[in-house]
Amino acid sequence: MRHDFLDRYGRLDSPVHRLPAGLKLVIALVIILTVVLLTGLTVWGFAALAGLLAVVALASRVPLGFLARRLLLLEPFVVGVAVLALLQPDGDRIFLLIVTKSTLCLFTMVLLSNTTPFAELLVALRRARLPALLITTLALMYRYLFVLVDEAERMRRARACRTFAKGRFGLWKVLGTVVGQLFVRSAERAERIYAAMCARGWK
Amino acid sequence: MSAVVEVKDLRYRYHDGAEALRGVSFAIAENECVGLIGPNGAGKSTLLLHLNGILPEQLEGAPTLSVFGEPVNRATLDRVRSAVGLLFQDADDQLFCPTVFDDVAFGPQQFGLNESAVAAKVRAALAQVGLDGFEKRSPHHLSRGEKRRVCLAGLLACDPRVLVLDEPTSDLDPRGKRELKALLRQIAATKIIATHDLELVVELCSRVLVLDRGVIVAEGPTVSILSNERLMLDHGLERPHILQHRHPH
Amino acid sequence: MHIPDGFLDAKTAVATGALAAGGVGVALRQVRRQLPRRKIPLLGLAAAFVFAAQMLNFPVAGGTSGHLIGGVLTAVLLGPGAAVIVLASVLIVQCLLFADGGLTALGANIFNMGLIGGVGGYAIYRAVRKAFAGTRGVVMAAAFAAWCSTVAASIVCAGELALSGTVAWRVAFPAMANVHMLVGIGEALITALVVVAVARARPELLDGRAGEDAALGYGTVFVFGLLISCGLALFVAPFACSWPDGLDRVAQRLGFESRAASAPLVHSPIRDYQLPGVSSAAVATALAGLIGTVVVFALAFLLARWLVPKTSSD
Repeated sequence: MRHDFLDRYGRLDSPVHRLPAGLKLVIALVIILTVVLLTGLTVWGFAALAGLLAVVALASRVPLGFLARRLLLLEPFVVGVAVLALLQPDGDRIFLLIVTKSTLCLFTMVLLSNTTPFAELLVALRRARLPALLITTLALMYRYLFVLVDEAERMRRARACRTFAKGRFGLWKVLGTVVGQLFVRSAERAERIYAAMCARGWK
Repeated sequence: MSAVVEVKDLRYRYHDGAEALRGVSFAIAENECVGLIGPNGAGKSTLLLHLNGILPEQLEGAPTLSVFGEPVNRATLDRVRSAVGLLFQDADDQLFCPTVFDDVAFGPQQFGLNESAVAAKVRAALAQVGLDGFEKRSPHHLSRGEKRRVCLAGLLACDPRVLVLDEPTSDLDPRGKRELKALLRQIAATKIIATHDLELVVELCSRVLVLDRGVIVAEGPTVSILSNERLMLDHGLERPHILQHRHPH
Repeated sequence: MHIPDGFLDAKTAVATGALAAGGVGVALRQVRRQLPRRKIPLLGLAAAFVFAAQMLNFPVAGGTSGHLIGGVLTAVLLGPGAAVIVLASVLIVQCLLFADGGLTALGANIFNMGLIGGVGGYAIYRAVRKAFAGTRGVVMAAAFAAWCSTVAASIVCAGELALSGTVAWRVAFPAMANVHMLVGIGEALITALVVVAVARARPELLDGRAGEDAALGYGTVFVFGLLISCGLALFVAPFACSWPDGLDRVAQRLGFESRAASAPLVHSPIRDYQLPGVSSAAVATALAGLIGTVVVFALAFLLARWLVPKTSSD
């Protein structure tokens, strides 16, 4: 599984966790913009930023091993594309620059997501005047993605038990059916949620 | 004794044409606790969805349903929904907000209360269901029993005078069931409970309606209906063990 | 294909951000006007669905596996406007919650996967659908559109990387396009299988779309088309126009200036750097793409015939 979606550490108590979500989002954005836009950043500049992020990581009380693993999970994608940068004049420098920038930004986002409950980020986004329909969609998506991922996994396992699929294509057909069923169930669940919202007076 | 909920000859067809309800009539008095029992597919959930105005999808036609003396139609829908709280069978369908607080606050917010009033209602409702301090929790981390109770809190926050519950103890473990039963006993409201849990019916309901294939086939005091072995077996039920050795309510 | 932070420069990030914001804005307007109220929760659930579906492993060979991206699938099941909102939501959550896709690259990712992939793919789907009716037509159109949109999105992505000076076009284009021509086959296959499964389980979910699709306003179509064209003009055209050295020579002979000068936003497509064999890689990729398109079209036709038994197509 590509994603570790158990937001286990979102509700620890630490100076970082206690900061308001909107503020953390803005700070993360500032850091990322600095890293990405400042072309004159030297090695010392990057090192300083890395040090700052390390301090934040320590202050957040999130296990460092966990943070490192999250980062390592995402690195291959960064490096994979960055490798293409080597094939041009001055490629070595560009490659190193991109990998450094990208990793710093990744680390920033990993820290943000693990110290801020998503519900609070949503409130911050709503205050930032993100359109209401989008906020509703994000809220429902967040609420039900765990439910659906579990459902998908259960269906996959149940199907895999009963299917003596002939080779890979048989398995693809099974998985395709699982995904199709997942959509149908999601659509039906959406209708029930609509009823539940109306039952409580949704305007 | 005026009827709080009155249903006269209610009929409903599914989209594919199958008849779900074929002329259901009954009346519920204030503060009564009535059980709605019957085999699967009898139409219990469909009937309950009518009591809150969710069904039929287009509200019009002869007033076959009235709540507190008012017919249920488009104009009275808001009042009906604030007076009648409907607990859905699947807590995941009803708990649709990102945090417990948001979810319990949903009803009061829709009915137009201001922020502090909403917060007060949420705190009170959560306390009533025994979930103080759960405000910031995420629904997907809760147990089934806790989710059920949050849904109930969401209803209680709207001060309903009638509580309609669809299979409230269906997927709970024994402790969860005990806790929910105790909770329901304490809530002062008219209650209509659709359930397979016959022990719950015996413990909480004074009267019982038996629904089978879209019609009410029997109604009466709980103990006498549930002790009628022939009746129970005829309609896909059975006499609960609890009545083997016990009597009057 | 989620672009991380640090790969796009400021102007590309801003341009893609603007295009994405425009696309999401138009989609929101269209959906608000046309989506019946009872379907609003479906947007959120569909986003959760796309996320969950993307996590399923479709084993390929060795340890590799394919994954669904879902742009065309979402558009076929919900319509283009809803698809943009759904895909944008998925990308936002993936970015904020899992650091999958950069914050500054959110605009590019939404533009590539939502607009090019979702809306562009949907346009292709509609076009093919017109020619081939019935369930088989739907499956074939969806499969073909899924392949095309995957490849198209990757090409635009390559253009964005090249415009930012991160990766040379001559490297990015073949790398991205070739890989995604293969990945696209998986996407097409999975999309087809899912559409068939939905058609079997709840055909009305697909049939109901026909009426809604027809109701897309001209305004919506125009703006979507405009945004996609801008993207193609900014990120693909300058590079696509700059390879044919042969064309340049012809143009010079005929007295026209080099085409590259006509696109002011291009700051340094690295045309002059010659890696042995690389300059021809781009041309070879383009040819492979053209041939691939025809081949995939035929394969999609056959796939639909195989997956959908004759009796169930109208």
